[in-house]
Amino acid sequence: MTTFIDYLLGGVSSGAIIALMALAIVLIWRSTRVVNFAQVGQAMFTTYVALTVRDATGNWIIALLAAIAAGAVLGLVVHWLVIRPVKRVDTSGAIIATFGVLISLQALAGMLWGGDTRGYAPPVSNDGIQLAGRIWPFSWYDVLVIGVTIALVIGLTLLFTRTNIGLAMRASAFNPEVARLSGVRVSRSLAYGWILAGMVGAIAGVLVAPTSQVSPNSFDILLVFAFTAAVIGGLDSLVGAVTFGIGTGLVISLVSGYSDSSNAPVVALVLLALNLLLKPDGVFGHHHSRAV
Amino acid sequence: MLTVSELSVSYGAVRALANVSLTVPPGEVTAVIGANGAGKSTLMRTLAGLVRPAAGSATLDGQPITGRKAEDIVRMGLALVPEGRSTIPDLTVEENLRLGGLWRNRSDRAASQAEVFDLFPILGQRRHLRADTLSGGERQQLAIGRALMAKPRCLLLDEPSLGLAPLIVTQILELVSGLARNSGLAVLLVEQNAVTALRVATTGIVLNLGEIVQTGPAADIASDEQLRHAYLGY
Repeated sequence: MTTFIDYLLGGVSSGAIIALMALAIVLIWRSTRVVNFAQVGQAMFTTYVALTVRDATGNWIIALLAAIAAGAVLGLVVHWLVIRPVKRVDTSGAIIATFGVLISLQALAGMLWGGDTRGYAPPVSNDGIQLAGRIWPFSWYDVLVIGVTIALVIGLTLLFTRTNIGLAMRASAFNPEVARLSGVRVSRSLAYGWILAGMVGAIAGVLVAPTSQVSPNSFDILLVFAFTAAVIGGLDSLVGAVTFGIGTGLVISLVSGYSDSSNAPVVALVLLALNLLLKPDGVFGHHHSRAV
Repeated sequence: MLTVSELSVSYGAVRALANVSLTVPPGEVTAVIGANGAGKSTLMRTLAGLVRPAAGSATLDGQPITGRKAEDIVRMGLALVPEGRSTIPDLTVEENLRLGGLWRNRSDRAASQAEVFDLFPILGQRRHLRADTLSGGERQQLAIGRALMAKPRCLLLDEPSLGLAPLIVTQILELVSGLARNSGLAVLLVEQNAVTALRVATTGIVLNLGEIVQTGPAADIASDEQLRHAYLGY
């Protein structure tokens, strides 16, 4: 029983990071109806930016802010330079194009920073907290990760429900034509989605770096888990992404604990396949029939 | 005053509108009627900036609107309620209305919202509900309310009767024509349902295969039996 609880605890924090990456995927799906497979590539790239800034300044927070800024710029650049022109011709083409962006970013990162795996020291201890006579598989760093995730989810929810930009983004996603007829600059709203997703992904990248290390390919597995969580959550739902992000983290931790960590991606894909068979719109997704 | 002159629109080789000229004066409803495929929706979508005309122009109070983007035209004072209840189902009534005047400042928006709730009290009662919980008639009121949130000088209504009970259509259109009279709003109404449209309109325009075949006082058009048989099918 203690082992079970330990495995669960161990999964919460990795689940929180999966949740953030899933959120980024959902943000782009909501705004542009494109699944952005380059999301982890963008996060990897901005984490290298963070690494560089941190080497120079020694400051974790400045490095995080640099990554967020880089994430915003990179999100905008990918949207304007690749997705917008391709999508004008073909939506599924845009999805394939995101794979191209992923591969290009990985190649570029290798050229700029080399292919070696680099460590990323956490700002607070990543060792288990000692409490009530034993060491728990839960660190102050995990507390930080979960805290940041909760703050981001609350912030995004407020943004979407309380602000004009949030309303414009939702309207542009649900019905671009009505949004335009209401005076909303839809193409700008779509760009905001990419910028926001780039920023959230950048935060996820910096947060996962201490546990996964940093190399051009080290975030690939995160894509599998985040994609699974986003799809099971319904792709449209922020709540769904977070719930199933954390859920995926727990499942991975249990699978890795009781069997072997190499089985985790397989289990994630099995869950994804089951979900697509049983509830293709996702657990939190709405099925939209087209109104006449 | 909306002035349209010599407007032509083509979809590929198909000419949807040919040299359409008309005026929509403030304070009254102008009805464009015609059978399915006459080019009514094309006219509306072109004026609102969703479709680019091949030739011709349109001005709102002297300012040219053709060639501008839809999102700019609504800000200039011309709002379209497109066919098929253009509300966003996932947003609440209040959010749908807020959307209609998002670029305006908070107090202007509040004033417009109060006017909309005066005109359509049911929307005030349902303000916190999602739009997809509303009935068809309520959703049409919301769609019109959303357009009014832009405080337009010219309102375009595309086929508001679609899928609604005749009584509800009459009620909604009478509210709109009352609004036009009282506030000086210019209303361009496009309808397949000629009887209802001509009842609230001052001027009637008959459109057939993209061309205007008749313009005149609504009452005259409503009583012109030959015209009815030839173009309106009743």
